[in-house]
Amino acid sequence: MSAPTIDPLDPIDGDVEATSPPRGRHRLRTFSLIVGTPMLVVALAFGAFSLFRPHIYSGTVMQAPTAAPSMDGLEWTDGTPVDLDALQGDVVVLYFGYTGCPDVCPTTLAQVGKALDRLGDDARRVHVVMVSVDPARDTPELLGEYMSSYGPEFAGATGPIDAVERVASTYGIFFARGDDYGNGDYAVDHTATLMGIDTSGHLRIVWPATLDVDRLASDLRALL
Amino acid sequence: MVLLALGAMAFAYFQPIQVLPRIRLAPGYAMVDQFDDMVTSEDGRGVITLYTFVPLGCGEACDRVDDTMRSVRDRVGRDVDLGGTEFRLVTVVLDPDVAPAALVGAAGDDDWSWLTGTAEQIENVVGLGFRRSADPAYFTPSYAIVDGWGMIRGEYRYQTLADDADKLVRHIDVLGGELRNSSGIASFAYGAAHVFQCYP
Repeated sequence: MSAPTIDPLDPIDGDVEATSPPRGRHRLRTFSLIVGTPMLVVALAFGAFSLFRPHIYSGTVMQAPTAAPSMDGLEWTDGTPVDLDALQGDVVVLYFGYTGCPDVCPTTLAQVGKALDRLGDDARRVHVVMVSVDPARDTPELLGEYMSSYGPEFAGATGPIDAVERVASTYGIFFARGDDYGNGDYAVDHTATLMGIDTSGHLRIVWPATLDVDRLASDLRALL
Repeated sequence: MVLLALGAMAFAYFQPIQVLPRIRLAPGYAMVDQFDDMVTSEDGRGVITLYTFVPLGCGEACDRVDDTMRSVRDRVGRDVDLGGTEFRLVTVVLDPDVAPAALVGAAGDDDWSWLTGTAEQIENVVGLGFRRSADPAYFTPSYAIVDGWGMIRGEYRYQTLADDADKLVRHIDVLGGELRNSSGIASFAYGAAHVFQCYP
């Protein structure tokens, strides 16, 4: 009697070998399912978030979209009344300062100018408006000259002191006569925040005067 | 995307974090207090301020407002963690051109500013800024919470059956939570709470 031979193509043994993976491989597949699936979902969620996430503003955004308070009583430096509605479709960066301001106003306006440079051609859709908190000394001519020195997007607005006080108050701006430098020269203390009015004419965002240029540019781009 | 949408819906529904809305800018001003010192809106930078607006000598109604302000101050000092942020009270007197000395008796407490000004200043601050009647004849108790960035975060115009002090303290506590926690990675969650309007 000869010894039994094993046919490598034996249908029964072959099936068992082909359809039953080793125990180690089975565990690996289960492990991949349990760990890999959540990782894939998280990766996809992160990917989707980075693709579609809304812009995170560096300034403080107001939730309630309220129309920017009117500037009745103020005039541009050419004598025409300030009408913010006429600027809808563009972004307005609003600031309250004065031409004799020794430090914070020129620094802030220069920073805004640099932020506009970052925007390239889009800067043409941004208007930078400074309302003078020193209307007694800031004549329209002086204010116009001062603002245009920063660039074509910069404009000044002024008016009678009671109108300036009313408008400033509604924008959360305080100002009062400060230190006396002698010879009739004096400082005007004032709130130095910047405000952003969106393309729909809503007062949307407030920036501190010390905001980084890149962050301001990024916020302005998002507002556009 | 589906998971993101579901997560956003769950966040908006369950409101795991609540915030007070950033309603609008509080008005800017420079007025005079009971000590004849100039007080400006800039003094409120970095400080949470509870405002109220009263005529002088309006009797019981004004006494209730004063009691509420005092109660809020005491309870905030005792029970609310503002993360080191200062809290102050400001009463804007609706009668114009009151002599500061006349406010000393009404104010009672040194750490509570009572402000007076011209009729125009009061109209700018109370009427245009806080958007309520600046006319003493139409006085109704009202309050406003303003944060350290000069934003109005809560407006309370009408007296209800609920205790005003309870509501104000609860909302100041919510603001304190945001001040304590809205830095670093948690700021995204607080940003989301604003976007999804998770208001108390």
